[in-house]
Amino acid sequence: MSQPAMINRYRWYELAGIYAGIFVFLSFILAPFVEGFLVSLKPLSLLFSSPYRFWPENGSFEAYRTMWVSVPGFARYIFNSFLVSFIVTAVVLALVVPAAYAFARFRFRGNGALLGAFLAVNMFSGAVLLIPLFRLMRSMGVLNTYFAMIVPGVAFLIPSAIWLLRTYMLRIPRELDEAAFVDGASHFYTLRRVILPIAMPGITVVAITTFIGSYAQQFIFALTFNSKTEYMPLPVGLFAYFGRQEVVWNELMAASFVGIAPAVIVIFFLQRYLVSGLTAGAVKQ
Amino acid sequence: MGQLKLNKVQKFYGTYEVLKSIELEVKNGEFVVFVGPSGCGKSTLLRMIAGLDETTAGDIVIDGKRVNDLPPVKRGIAMVFQSYALYPHMTVFENIAFPLRVEKMAEEKLKAKVEHAARILHLDQRLQQKPGMLSGGQRQRVAIGRAIVREPKIFLFDEPLSNLDAALRADMRIELAKLHRQLRATMIYVTHDQVEAMTMADRIVVLNAGEIAQTGAPLELYHKPANIFVAGFIGHPKMNFLPVTCTGLREDGVEIDYRGQTAVLPVTPRSGMVGRSLTLGVRPEHIQTGSADLTLVINPSVIERLGAHTVAYASLGGEGENYCAMLPGTAVIRAEEQVTTGIRAADGHLFDENGVAFERRVEMTDIDLALFDPAA
Repeated sequence: MSQPAMINRYRWYELAGIYAGIFVFLSFILAPFVEGFLVSLKPLSLLFSSPYRFWPENGSFEAYRTMWVSVPGFARYIFNSFLVSFIVTAVVLALVVPAAYAFARFRFRGNGALLGAFLAVNMFSGAVLLIPLFRLMRSMGVLNTYFAMIVPGVAFLIPSAIWLLRTYMLRIPRELDEAAFVDGASHFYTLRRVILPIAMPGITVVAITTFIGSYAQQFIFALTFNSKTEYMPLPVGLFAYFGRQEVVWNELMAASFVGIAPAVIVIFFLQRYLVSGLTAGAVKQ
Repeated sequence: MGQLKLNKVQKFYGTYEVLKSIELEVKNGEFVVFVGPSGCGKSTLLRMIAGLDETTAGDIVIDGKRVNDLPPVKRGIAMVFQSYALYPHMTVFENIAFPLRVEKMAEEKLKAKVEHAARILHLDQRLQQKPGMLSGGQRQRVAIGRAIVREPKIFLFDEPLSNLDAALRADMRIELAKLHRQLRATMIYVTHDQVEAMTMADRIVVLNAGEIAQTGAPLELYHKPANIFVAGFIGHPKMNFLPVTCTGLREDGVEIDYRGQTAVLPVTPRSGMVGRSLTLGVRPEHIQTGSADLTLVINPSVIERLGAHTVAYASLGGEGENYCAMLPGTAVIRAEEQVTTGIRAADGHLFDENGVAFERRVEMTDIDLALFDPAA
């Protein structure tokens, strides 16, 4: 039967409405990407010609070559972005996995209050705390280091990661812990051999959101806590294409796409672990 | 050896007393079933023996050693959970091997033990599969395998069959009974299903509201329930209870009156009972058509024909008590048509106002020779 189930059947005008809605929202999301890509293909002179043309005439990938020449440090910026996000993600995971396990499994004094506090911290955006953080960093003497960009990133990403992973771990049946305990396994052994493998999809989600979150928020910390060009991450580095006289739009767009590419690759790699149904057969549901 | 002794074991959740001073001794190799309605504390008691729940007061003694403060693995117990609790990411082999891996057992020895357990449980063909690919019965066998490899002194089962369908449950019951004979290990088994209790147990412990209502062999509980709770709990359909009055104590039993009919029940009399209102208990399967020592004319509202039996449900007049009779499959009986049923005095159970039974004069050896034959 190729017919969809009764509950999934729609009339033609319902289908038309659904696709129209999808088209409208998708075009809002994707149009900037399309336009950005087309701009990156055009020679700079064509960008300001009037009438404006969407389709690039004699378009080429020239900007993707010249961008490396006009901003020689660009590779370094990508590397910085990656390094910061990578370390932030690693540190967050190392801290959050045991913490989420503890919040999901143990009852200890103040666990509710702590979780509430994490949620509350989440409501402050990092920007609100920039000035106090700046003073703190200055008095610690860590301004203009990677450290200054990594630590606040970690701190602001931990609360949501704990909430996310705790919820996932709550869904793992407690009997699995008890069975392992009866068989003599310690809490850490249980975490490593039983809980971690089962929680892998949840951990992957946390890793992806943390990586993206760090990629997105790092420019705030980079702008405030860092003035050294060689430590600048990608979003700040893009400003290098803003010249004194003109903005090199086509190279800027090309650089944006090149800068995003590694993150996209990482996420594609990680989503392999997003398999659902890993707990199938653990307990009778 | 797997000897268990519970000495005045108590459990409180806050101020709520879940278990009230439980005293029990389990002999080595015995198959003991804890049975009772939900909320009676049977699972809690098992989890306390396992070491998963704290014991508020009293001693849990295994092989002469107080184990209250020992973790499960040092108590020499293994537990099978109701929900199987298998590790979904590991193969059957790794699931069974898990306790041995924790012990860091050498690979060769481990392999031999796992394969031995798998053979006992007919899982040899499944060792490389993941639990998700197994049926419910196979999953439960894997869970049992994980318990077997540890070679524990005492096996604890927490309602292991209640997630299986009826046919599979019957098969697993038989397999578990065989396994018990094969391993000769002490087993403690929690269930709310009295069929499981009756068929598998050497001894049944009936729990009610945190107390042991009665301990005894299955047929002992059936024929000589110590109180009205056990009488009502063991047996299906449930025992009928009729309000009667004691009219006299005699050498051969207690004379009772039920709505003008008198009968003498062969139970051990107790003085001072004359004139008191008592409860007469009769099992539905002991009710026959036609008159007997007590005769009741009923007007059945529902008839269930099960083939082997016919079950008739009726209401007995004003009190609104229900009356259930289990008659032969061929009984000539129709709903809403009067029928005469009879109760033999010898089949009756008698309880006082507190629900405590009068001891029936039934020789258990007449019912089950095995009870008095230690070799069996």
